[in-house]
This record gives sequence, structure tokens and C-alpha cells, in this order.
Amino acid sequence: MHPPRPPRRPRLLTAFLLAPLLTGCFAATGDAGAAAGGKDAARLRVALAFPPAENLSPYGADATILSRLGVTEGLTALDANGAAVPALASSWRREDDRTWRFTLREAVFQDGTEVTPAAVVTALTRAGRAAPAPAALSGVTLTARAQGATGVRITTTDPDPVLPLRLTSPSLAVLAPKAYGGKGAVDPVGTATGPFTLTAVTGTTSAALDRFDDYWGGRAQASGIDARFIADGTARANALRTGQIDLAEAIPVSQAAALDAGSRRETATTRTTSLLLNTESGTFKDAALRAAARAAVDTGALAEGVYEGHADPGAGIYGPAVTWAGGKRLTPTGRAKAKKPDGAPVTLATYDNRPELPEAAQVLKQQLEKAGFTVQLEVREYSRLESDALAGKFDAFVGARNSLLDTGDPVSLLASDFTCDGGYNLALLCDKDVDRAVERARTVADTSERQDAALAAEAVILATDAVVPLVHQRVVTGVADTVGGVLLDPYERTLVGTGTRR
Amino acid sequence: MGSRGGALLWRAAPAAALVCGIGLLPWLSHTDPALTVLKARSADRDPDPEALAAVRTRLGLEEGPSVLLGRWLGGLWHGDAGRSWISGTEVAPAVGQALGASLLLMAVSLVVACCTAAAVCARTLHLGARRRLHGRIPGGSLSAVLAALPEFLTASVLATVVGVRLGWLPALGWYGPQWTVLPALALGLPAGAVLGRLLDDRLPAAFAEPWASAATARGLPGRNIARQALRRCVPGLLPNLGLFAVGLTGGAVAVEQIFDIPGLGRTTLQAALAQDLPVLQAAALALVALAAVTTAAARLAVGRLVGTALRDGALHTLHRPLHTLHGRPSTVRRILPLAYGILLLGVIAAGFPRDPLALDTTTRLRPPSTTHPFGTDALGRDMLARVAHGALDTLLLALAVSALALVAGVLLGLLPRLSGPLVDTVNAVPPVLAALLVTALWRGGGATPVVAVAVVAWVPLAAHTSALLRQERATLHLAATRALGAGRWYLLRRGILPAVLPPVVRHGLLRLPGVALALASLGFLGLGAQPPSPEWGLLLAENQPYAERAPWAVLAPAAVLALLGALAVTATGRAGARVGGAR
Repeated sequence: MHPPRPPRRPRLLTAFLLAPLLTGCFAATGDAGAAAGGKDAARLRVALAFPPAENLSPYGADATILSRLGVTEGLTALDANGAAVPALASSWRREDDRTWRFTLREAVFQDGTEVTPAAVVTALTRAGRAAPAPAALSGVTLTARAQGATGVRITTTDPDPVLPLRLTSPSLAVLAPKAYGGKGAVDPVGTATGPFTLTAVTGTTSAALDRFDDYWGGRAQASGIDARFIADGTARANALRTGQIDLAEAIPVSQAAALDAGSRRETATTRTTSLLLNTESGTFKDAALRAAARAAVDTGALAEGVYEGHADPGAGIYGPAVTWAGGKRLTPTGRAKAKKPDGAPVTLATYDNRPELPEAAQVLKQQLEKAGFTVQLEVREYSRLESDALAGKFDAFVGARNSLLDTGDPVSLLASDFTCDGGYNLALLCDKDVDRAVERARTVADTSERQDAALAAEAVILATDAVVPLVHQRVVTGVADTVGGVLLDPYERTLVGTGTRR
Repeated sequence: MGSRGGALLWRAAPAAALVCGIGLLPWLSHTDPALTVLKARSADRDPDPEALAAVRTRLGLEEGPSVLLGRWLGGLWHGDAGRSWISGTEVAPAVGQALGASLLLMAVSLVVACCTAAAVCARTLHLGARRRLHGRIPGGSLSAVLAALPEFLTASVLATVVGVRLGWLPALGWYGPQWTVLPALALGLPAGAVLGRLLDDRLPAAFAEPWASAATARGLPGRNIARQALRRCVPGLLPNLGLFAVGLTGGAVAVEQIFDIPGLGRTTLQAALAQDLPVLQAAALALVALAAVTTAAARLAVGRLVGTALRDGALHTLHRPLHTLHGRPSTVRRILPLAYGILLLGVIAAGFPRDPLALDTTTRLRPPSTTHPFGTDALGRDMLARVAHGALDTLLLALAVSALALVAGVLLGLLPRLSGPLVDTVNAVPPVLAALLVTALWRGGGATPVVAVAVVAWVPLAAHTSALLRQERATLHLAATRALGAGRWYLLRRGILPAVLPPVVRHGLLRLPGVALALASLGFLGLGAQPPSPEWGLLLAENQPYAERAPWAVLAPAAVLALLGALAVTATGRAGARVGGAR
């Protein structure tokens, strides 16, 4: 037996031992936190929806972040009508089928060096060598050569009538030679040409930018930007409502109503949500059933009921944001006659990364069932769905897609999504007429004629009923009352510019 | 010495298996990592063969999983956890930072949880210290309701009401102490309710021990008696507290998203979806290490609190026939579960004739009215109908998982040496990762979601069983039975199980709502209930974005889940009383 012990003092909860880890566990406040105090009133506080995935490498999706914050620029830029306009290049002309000559404007990089033809050549060459290649350059090989003091000559191996459009892509931004100095990643911090220069990047949580005083387009009004990356849509809306943020990107439909009408800005985007029908196997192999499905869909109910009016009913593959498409659209002819589905089974797949899609799919399910189909839904995370969808495991697929892709060229989408060799052909469409119409559009160089040809091809594609455009989404940007001069852009490439201020 | 080495080996084995499992994940699940990595970098990017090939070469995927894993382990030996497949940045600092944020969040949440637990058992402590527990019914409904609260619901409500509407505390971010309050409340309240419930379950028995009456007779202050009673009961819960700590560190995804906290939960979720193996492996290892530390700390604390008594076998069983504690079950005690049951059945019966799938987008998000007593959801469907029709699916699935988890938990919990390391490792695995691993290994069709949830759900029950077992083994009455020559089976059947089973069963039922939510969270893999099914977890998930505009759409399913929790807890309390009375 043990002798009785003197009563021990109660030890307080051991769990609290973990608490001293306190310091250093908060997010690095950086400038974002300091600015929240309002020290410098002229700095803009921006909440972006997509955190940098690749350390702000200009060759992937992060390029859009850089261009939206006014950090990087390419030789050309897209205007509201989808045409290429001067940026770092003041003018250009086509010398022959494969050669274009660009004349540079006088500009300086944010590190103080001049924008020279040699620097542009380095930038374009490095972009071409990136692995994987930037989407805008996939399937294209270009060679850039310096020409005199202000000229850059770009040659492509195949004729490329849309090269100036291609160069508007944010991933073909021009950075100072210093950016490419390191062995691995390209460093956009302080090496770009835009009105704002990156000063600090804190992982995937925030970034700080200062005004670049020597910008060729004039000094920006805001003295700097504190950007925060907030992936959750509700959190972004809350940040705006509590005044922590002046500008919030992509407010989800479900949260839009929580904002004051004055701080909601809507922009039609080139994103089209469509119903793609599997033309290779299953129920929708039959064109008559595809026609029945198209007839069953009520796009107005989707735009109003699911998107709460923050979308336009489907008009075609290109929506109202593609301004030139509106007046020139052709009516599809030679569509199959619809027949009664008689309970034909349909698996309808969609992904939940965009919260509206599962809702839209459920409405569609009801509409199709009313018409006589038997519908089963399959909802997964996008990366778990894509390969099965491309392999044709579903009868129908609801997805949102940017109709102008990375290049701003209307034809590349048609080629990748609806031709036999298309890399993203979810409808598994392989139709001679479609291929011919797309091929014809591909060869046209003149912008306006190319647009006509694209619309002609669109009509041929719609006639197959392989795709039913559902809605054209409008993106809601949250803008605080005090903020002006926000660049709302249907192509989602700009947001903050020289005139943005608060 | 040999057995010690064996134990050490067995301790390391699950962690090693986990890291290898992660290393093989894409190959087991037949999901091309090049594709998921490409999509994680740029969602709009078309997966053309050249781009995929470029990613594959970059990451060295052709070399196969064993080479990749070997290289990663080799680097780890030198303190290099590799580079992220998505961003190309070094893994160790990124994971370290996320872990720091998560640990802090966890620590504050634990404080909240402890306060909640204290509040839950305050009444019992107060009455017990004054020896007035006799004949009182233990509460339980409120704590069961709290325990059934989904974290994301509390989090959204706190963020919008306290953060945005009232502006008392920051609604999002992670920049200083005041930023920790709301997320910690969201995480700590349900965890504290579970812990408090378990503690409250044991306290009356501790107060009924002979020392307590002796102490009262000697005139010791009630405060001291209460403290000693706590000291008597807390060791049985410390392992569970440790599990909570580790679970909160790696699994607080929803709260991290709502409050925009750069924590480990989000990091692992993103890495798991993108199959960013180096990040996933590093995060899993960090969590496993944390689990080992926590378990050691819990063990140390148990030793400190009741070590001598455990060694000397000088404890009383805390499982006493309940009638000696409470007398005859009171009327309230009998009526309460009945009332909950009738209420639940009433809701189901009222909604059953209605159509849960008929949607009408013109009547979306309507508040409760006579035509729609529970209001409508975002697609204009009647919430009452959906709640009622979802009951069967939810109950069947969740009950199946709970039963499976209970059986596995009790069986493994009775073999602590075997299950201890397993408990630590499995608990440290973030739920998303566990689901991915299970679906990769198990292609069982309909049973997959059940297995994917059960594979983690048994852990707290096993830990609870082990902790109770350890104490029960040290009781005097077992020593006496043993001395009388009882065999191991007899001891197990007559001595241990009757003492261990009831609290563990109540614990299992307390977690039933959590199981339903976990089932719904597998939806992203295309597992479990798919829309438009009205399964309760799914109802909560799909209405979450509308929590502010249409609170009824989330409150209805949350309320029935809470009702279910309260029913389960009060009903088992009653059943326990009946068994106790019969003995």
C-alpha cells in the first residue's frame, strides 16, 4: 500500500499547453492589414476570387490576375467589341501570310529599363518555350525578331490571321529581361509595364501593389492596390459589406441580393452556360430526341429562376457580351423534327464548382421530364467529372464555357468544342457540315468577315442540336459607393486601371 | 524490449501506410494527376495532349509512383518536403504556415469547447457538490441540439449576424486575436457540447462514490468535491479531447472558407482535389505527428490525474445501476423522448403527402406560410416535403454508418494496443483525403459512401471505449471478480462491457447528425445522395448559400437533425435507466 499522498493541486487543463503557439500563427498582414486601418485613403482594396495557383506565373490562369490588377500588358489589348487595339505596340501590319510587323511605343518597364524590341522578343520567346505552353499559343509556333529600334517581326509556322488578337492574351504579357533571369519561374514583381507594380506577394492570401509613376498611359489615380484573394463568394460579399474592401470580384448570384443596388455592377460576360448532348452514343444519338430536348428547355425560367435575372436567356453560342454577334446571327436551318421521348433515359451531368449549375441542372431535369425523358443527375467536382464527360459516359452535360477562350478569337472555340478533332468536344459531335463551316471560318483573315463566318458556323452547329445554349451569365462586381472608374470588361481581363479611384 | 520495439513499429506502420497510400492515390483511383494539376492551375484550360504531356514531364509522372515516393522520402530525410505540383513553391514553409494558423484556431476553439463543456455540466456539478443530484434527471436535450449544429451553419450565422450586421467582430480574415473569436465559436460550440455531454454522463456516478459522501460528511466544501469529481471523470475524456484537437486542426474546411482563414483544412482540400501529392503528404505527416504528440500529452495528463489509482487498481466503476442514482425514472424523463419522437414523426407525417421534387422557380425562397409551412428553397420546392421525404434516406444511411462505426469502435477500442496507433493516424487524416483513399481502394457501388464515412467515424468511439476500458480494468470490483477466479470472457461480458457499452452507445448516437453531414460532404466525388434527393445533409449543403436570405431553408433541416440528436440522447438515457432498474 502506498502512504496517502498529500492532496495535489489540480493541474489546469493540459490542452491549454498548446495555446502558446500564438505568435506567428496569424496571416501575414502585409499592407492589406495596415491599409484596413485607412492610413492611406487613396489605396484601393480589392478582393479577387481566384488565388494565384502558380505563384503569379504569367503563363497560366494567374496571368488574368496580373492583367486585372493593371500590372502587365501585352503588345495588343482587346476592346469592348472584341477587336485588337494598341497597347505596347502602337501599330502593326501584316507583311505576308505568316509575318506580322509590330511597332512599339515608347514605354519603360517598372524596373526602369526601356521597352525595347529585344526585350519583347525575349518575352515572347520565353512564353513559347513555357511548359505547358500558354493556352493562347497551343498549336502555334511563333518566332519573334527585333527590327530596328522600334520594330518586332513575328513569324508563325502556319498562317495565323488572328495573331494580333492572340497577342492580347494576358499570358503573352511583356516583362523586363530581369523577370526571366532566374532559372525557374518568371518573376512579375516590379518587372511589368502596367500602371501598377507588384511590391509584395504573400503566398495565396494577398498582394500589395504601388502606382507606377512612369506608366506610358499616364499616372494612375489610386496610389496603390491592396489585393486580397478570397475564394469564398459569400466571404467576398461580406468583406465588401463590412467596408474591409472597396472592390469585390464575382459576387455569386446567391449573395448579390445582399448588396445594395448601388454597389452591384453587372457586366455581360462571354461565358455561356449550355446543355451539351452526347451525339455519339445513348439517347441523344438520335437527332429527333435532341430536337425534343431542345424544345423542352425553357431558358427564360433558368435565367430568371436560377440566375435571378443576372443572366440573359441563351441566344446562341455567343451571347450578348459578344457585341458583334447580336445583329448578324443566322437562324439555324434543317433541324431534325422532334419526336416523343417515351421515357428515354438520360444521365445529366454537371459540376458543383459553380453553385448555380447544380440548380440549373435540377430545373432542366424537371423540364426534360415534363417532355417525357427519364432523367438522372450526376453532380461532382469538376476535375472528377471531366474525363468521364469527354469519354462520353453521360448523355447530357451542363457546363459554363468562355466562348472567346484565351485569344478572343471566336473560331477557336468552335474548333475545339464542336469539330471531329476538337480537344474539348463534350458533345462528341463529328459532323461533316460543321467541320467544313468551321474550317472555312478559320481561314478568313478580315475581322468582320471572320465574325460572319463564325456566325455561319454557329448556325450549322446549332442546327445539329448537339448544343442548347441555356443562359449567358452576367458577372456581378461589388463596388463600394466611393469608388469610381472601375473597368468592367466582358472579357474579364481588366478591373483596375489608371482612372480607378476612391 | 522486443514487445516495445514491436509496439513502436506498429505505431509507425499506419503513418507509413498513409504516406504510401497518398503516394499511390492517383494510380489507385485511376485519376490522372496531370489532368487534375492542370485544372487546378487553370480551370478554363482545355486538357489537350501536349499540355498534359508537358505537365507529366515536369512532374516526372512517367517514372511511376514508387520512384516519386522514394525521391520524396529521400528529400524528407534532408528536411526537404519537396515542391508543390501546382505552384512549384516549396511545400514545407507553406504547410508550416497553414499549420500555424490551424493550430491557433484549434487552440482557441478548444478553449471555447472547454467553456461550453463546463456550461453543459455546470448544473450537475453544482447539484452533485451539494449532494442534491438524487432523483434529478440529467439534462441533455440542449447539449444534444448544440452537438448537432453543423459548423458551417453556425459559422455563416455568426459571420453575417455578428460580423456584418452588427459589426462587433471582424467577419473575415486572420490578422489578430479578435479575428479568432467567431471561427472558434463555430468550431468550439458543437465540440464542447459533445465533450460536455460525455462528461455529464459520468459525473453523477462519481458523485455517488463513497469518498464523495465521506467528504461531505467531513464538511469539505462543495467546490473541492466537485473538483475531485471532475478529476475522476476527465481522464475518460482526455483521449477524445485530443482527437478533437487534431480533427479541428486538419478538418475545419468549412469554417476556414467562410472566414477566409489560411489554414491547413483548405490547403489539404485543394491539394486533395488537385492530387498535389507532395503537399498532401507533408500535411498528412504533420497531422499524424500532431496526433502522436496530442496522444502522448493526453496519456501524460491521465497519468497525472489518476495514474496511481490506475496502477493500483483502486478505482470504483463509474457505471452504477442507474436507479441507485436517480431513483425511479421520473415522468419528465419518460415523456421527453416520447415528445421528441412524436414531434419528429409529426413533421414527417405532415410532409409526406407533399411532393419534395416539384420545383417552381417563381416561388423561390418564400418564407414560411400556410401553403408552405417551412417555406421554400432556392428552386421553390416545399421545405416541409423535402425534410419529411429525406428522413428515411438520412436515417437509414446515417444509422447504418453509426452502427458500423459503433461495432468497429467498440471492438477495436477493446484492443487499445492494436487500435491506439490506428486511432491516432485515422483521426489525423482530413475527411476529404480519407474519402478519396476509400473510394480509390473500394469500388463497392452503393456501399462506398457508408464505408467512406464509417472508416473515420469509428475513431472517437474506439478512443472513448479504450479510455473507459482502462479505468474499468482498474476497478476494485473487477479485481475482486478476478480474484474469485473469473475468466477473461466472464470479465468482459459481465464486468467490462456493461460498464463501457452504454456511454459509448450514447456517444455514437450523439454523433448521428454529424454522420449525416459527413455523408453529404462526399457529394463532390459523386458519392452519396445526389441532387435532387432531399437527404438532410444535402439539404443543408444546398441551402447554405442562402442562409442569410432564407434562413428557414437551412433551419428546417438543421432543426430536424437537432431533434434527432436530442431524441437519440434522451431515449438512450431512458433505456439505460430501464436496464439499470432491472438489474
